[in-house]
Amino acid sequence: MSHDNPLQHPEVQVASGRGYLLTFLISTLLMGVSLLLVANHAMAPFGLMLVLSLCAGLAVIVQIYFLMHMDLSEAHIWNTVALVLTIPLFILAIGLTAWMFSTLYERTMVMLPTMHGMAGMVH
Amino acid sequence: MLVDLQGPWSPLLGRLALSQIPYENPILAPLFVVVAIMGIAIIAALSYYGKWGYLWREWLTTVDHKKIGIMYIIIGLVMLFRGFMDGLMIRTQQAMAVGPDAAGYMGALHGYLTPYHFGQIYSAHGVIMILLAATPLLVGIMNVIVPIQVGARDMAYPYLNAVGLWITAAAAVLVMASLFVGDFSHNGWFGIAPIFELPYSPGVGVDYWMWVMQLAALGSTLGSINILATIVKMRAPGMTWLRLPIFTWASLATNIIALTSFPALTVALALIGFDRYLGTHFFTAGLGGNLMLYTDLFWLWGHPEVYFVILPAFGMLSEIIPTFSEKPLFGYVTMVLATFGIAGVSWAVWLHHFFTMGAGPDVISFFSVATMLVGIPTGVKVFNWAFTMYRGRLRFETPMLWSIGSLFLLLVGGLTGMMLAFPAINYMVHNSVFVIAHFHSMLLMIVYAIFGAVTYWWPKIFGFKLNEAWGKAVFWLFTAGTVGVFVPMYTLGFMGMTRRLDYVFNTQWQLLLDVQMLGIAFYSLSVLAFLGLLYVSIRDRAKSRVSHDAWGTTHSVEWMTPSPVPFYNFAVVPHINARDEWSWRKEHGFTDLRPDHYEDIHMPKNTGIPLILGVLTFLLGFGLTWRIWWLCALSLALIIAVVIIRSFDADTGYIIPADEVERMERAHHDRAQAAVELPQAGVPGGVTAYGQGNKPAAKGEVGAPGSGISSPEGSRA
Amino acid sequence: MSSSTSKALDPSSVELWDHSHHHHDVISTRTFGFWLYMLSDAMIFAVLFAAWEVLSYSHSFAAGPTPASFVEPGYVFLQTLALFTSVLAYGFTMVALKNGNKAGVISGLWGALILGVAFLALDINDVVHLVGMGITPDLSGGLSAFFILTQTHALHILFGLLWMLVMLVQVSRFGFSADVVGRLLSLRLFWHFQAVVWVFVFVFVYLRGMLI
Ligand code: HEM
Ligand SMILES: [Cu+2]
Repeated sequence: MSHDNPLQHPEVQVASGRGYLLTFLISTLLMGVSLLLVANHAMAPFGLMLVLSLCAGLAVIVQIYFLMHMDLSEAHIWNTVALVLTIPLFILAIGLTAWMFSTLYERTMVMLPTMHGMAGMVH
Repeated sequence: MLVDLQGPWSPLLGRLALSQIPYENPILAPLFVVVAIMGIAIIAALSYYGKWGYLWREWLTTVDHKKIGIMYIIIGLVMLFRGFMDGLMIRTQQAMAVGPDAAGYMGALHGYLTPYHFGQIYSAHGVIMILLAATPLLVGIMNVIVPIQVGARDMAYPYLNAVGLWITAAAAVLVMASLFVGDFSHNGWFGIAPIFELPYSPGVGVDYWMWVMQLAALGSTLGSINILATIVKMRAPGMTWLRLPIFTWASLATNIIALTSFPALTVALALIGFDRYLGTHFFTAGLGGNLMLYTDLFWLWGHPEVYFVILPAFGMLSEIIPTFSEKPLFGYVTMVLATFGIAGVSWAVWLHHFFTMGAGPDVISFFSVATMLVGIPTGVKVFNWAFTMYRGRLRFETPMLWSIGSLFLLLVGGLTGMMLAFPAINYMVHNSVFVIAHFHSMLLMIVYAIFGAVTYWWPKIFGFKLNEAWGKAVFWLFTAGTVGVFVPMYTLGFMGMTRRLDYVFNTQWQLLLDVQMLGIAFYSLSVLAFLGLLYVSIRDRAKSRVSHDAWGTTHSVEWMTPSPVPFYNFAVVPHINARDEWSWRKEHGFTDLRPDHYEDIHMPKNTGIPLILGVLTFLLGFGLTWRIWWLCALSLALIIAVVIIRSFDADTGYIIPADEVERMERAHHDRAQAAVELPQAGVPGGVTAYGQGNKPAAKGEVGAPGSGISSPEGSRA
Repeated sequence: MSSSTSKALDPSSVELWDHSHHHHDVISTRTFGFWLYMLSDAMIFAVLFAAWEVLSYSHSFAAGPTPASFVEPGYVFLQTLALFTSVLAYGFTMVALKNGNKAGVISGLWGALILGVAFLALDINDVVHLVGMGITPDLSGGLSAFFILTQTHALHILFGLLWMLVMLVQVSRFGFSADVVGRLLSLRLFWHFQAVVWVFVFVFVYLRGMLI
């Protein structure tokens, strides 16, 4: 098995120049598009944030798949499981915090309308 | 960009000055003398008996998970004692300082502690009990037991394991240093924004608090990686997921929580650090800072943390109760699911610690409902334990007593938690001693489970049992203390007493506060009884030796290797055939623990580097606290250098040849045989509830008086 | 399930002790642990992002400068390019490793290192520039969050660069031993992970910051 020659280890063998190049191209493209959208004020803030989030999400998914090699193969399954178990926690931590503070700001009236990046739709 | 300090600072010593040593304090100065004398006595004894080499070789440089676990447990017990002393002082002050006529001593207007000193004591009490007593005790027990339970020879990363230990030790030393150099935070264990900001807490107290917590968090994160990797990657062949011992499942869930929640604490504290050291405005009252953000980030860790400490305790109960009910655990799969259910939900409830913040009603309802949901898996667990006991052959030996006590506390704490989860009730009792009583029920539930687990696994680690009579005495004294302190506390909470009072204005509360003192007296007696228990048990150890299966009715893999466990755990890694492998083997008569062949064993070498890293981490923490910048830079640079140098050491293991293993195993086996011959010890052969027949060394009906179970009064209560 | 049957088993048919002499897989044990650490590290970023979310309302900037007034998106995109190419270079290092090509690994590491230094230099230049303009983290809660979040990422980059230096020495000294290969794989996780974090920093701190 792999333990004779470390270079035969599946995690070494999974490397793929094509995948890395593809990731580079896709994520650079997506970041470039986001940049242009923001620089040109192409959309209203709410729609803009939606598109930006989409671009970021797509770039990250590509990177996680091609760069981090998260898949269901025997060599990577546990890494993938660990990731899938923790992603909801990131979402909970950020999402619930954002939610509670947005209601707090509303109720304590510190938030002036249309000032928050995400909150173009408030008011 | 560094902030302006109030008070002197010098490049060489930072904020350190002679005046920071409280040599005039009537409590701390004598305490310091006592600690110094004890320290000198220990050093002298070590030198006199020539034990330095032994200490260095066998303990300080060890990477053996069992010894590391034992050292964690020792740190935990020492800090438990320190935390208890803090608790005792809090209770005494509150009992003394009731009403305007209460006398004052030692500079205090009422009672004997000034408000400033009192604030430090309750803050230290909380930090120590949660992060430096409960956590190390649990981590220690997981360290000792998990690798053996999964049939591994060591942790996945033995070296990292030692690093985690010594960082935790550094945190413990730092919190002790705060007693004698400078002061400690008076912001409570969770910190209160913006009081911990520099303008309002100009001293080093908050810095001590911050770095102690920070180091403890780092140690726990490292430890959690290790245990997770051990469980996922180091299981013996045949140990499929559904055969995993239940304590190991609990450890898995709990360390997932630790791995993912401690970073929140790290960030929350680091941001305080930026505020205090760089003058940023994360949690300040003005300039765009947000006070509640701190509370949010803290409890984002804080609530998962309480489940981090309770899940291993659940795992311990799930091991102890079947053993002393002589039945397999009821509902293994539901137990596992419940464990993970609790771990998952624990991530969406943290706002219940600040319901009163003022978030919108839908937010509050969400967190209230999520909090109550925790009750479902917890209830499942309680019923599973109850059904395990139902129609079991109960034996009330000490570990079982602790477990049952633990169950009662879980009920009380869980139900009061449910009450607190109602926002309407919460608005009434938030920040009252009712809350204190709630979480002490919970945390004591854990302490009970820990005492149960220590008694239960003690013979596995040391090869002899703890004395039953003394163990029971500790239990009953401790329980008297628990009832005495916390029943009045719940009552006082309903009567409106708020938490953290250094002066109690309502004289009608005097009686209940005095009853609490009675409880504290029982607790104090139980501490003495615990020391007596250790003394008597060690003195009489020759009479209470056991072989591998110390309780006769155990079921999981750790009981298939000699007691005390050899440093390599298993001469040959067992092949696992069933859940409750050891019960299965007893049932089918495969009780001969001599393997059919021997093989070379590869073990990690001892190393002093983790200890060095621990010392450097302490220096870093101390330097940061006192703003001694050169010390910070130097220790940080050294830490990085040491880590790099170590990574160039390619030769970190060694081989024990097969014939050497065989020789050691023979010796163990002979010792075990001798243990079985002793009248009061050994294997009673109690596997009846698992199946009939082919039991080795069965000397009579299980549990019948004189059947060989080593409790002095016989095994049946 | 621990069976409740008590029928006798034939001892010769049961395997009680492991005969496989199984050597556990050192490399993936190491990378798995490292991945767990990365997830924990990711949580650090997640919490920082939560803090940024709370502190990026306009009132969080206390009427002082907001990112909209100083972020130059073109400049930050340059940083993006530097980091992504460095990550690509590390990818090619991994391809060279797969082929057992030591010279390739070493030059790939150098490439990743130099591009990483470029990223860091751009970042430091940016911070110096901002501080020169009087825009510092102690002006407002919003700026505190902005600086700490971006510079925490930069700190990770610094750490990764140091690690690359160590690996350059170790590869030439020990060749492709199991330890060295394991470390190269862990560094891959670490370095590629910085790209993932950067996507979020770029989009949700710099670009979204421009809307505040
Ligand atoms: C059935 C499950 C539980 C529920 C529903 C529950 C509910 C609550 C609630 C609502 C509070 C906030 C009280 C307030 O400050 O107003 C609270 C506080 C607390 N709980 Fe629980 N809890 C549960 C289990 C636990 C467990 C298992 C532990 C620890 C092992 C624990 C430890 C704590 C601590 C330490 C605090 C207060 C900390 C402080 O304010 O200093 N709880 N609990
Ligand atoms: Cu809670």
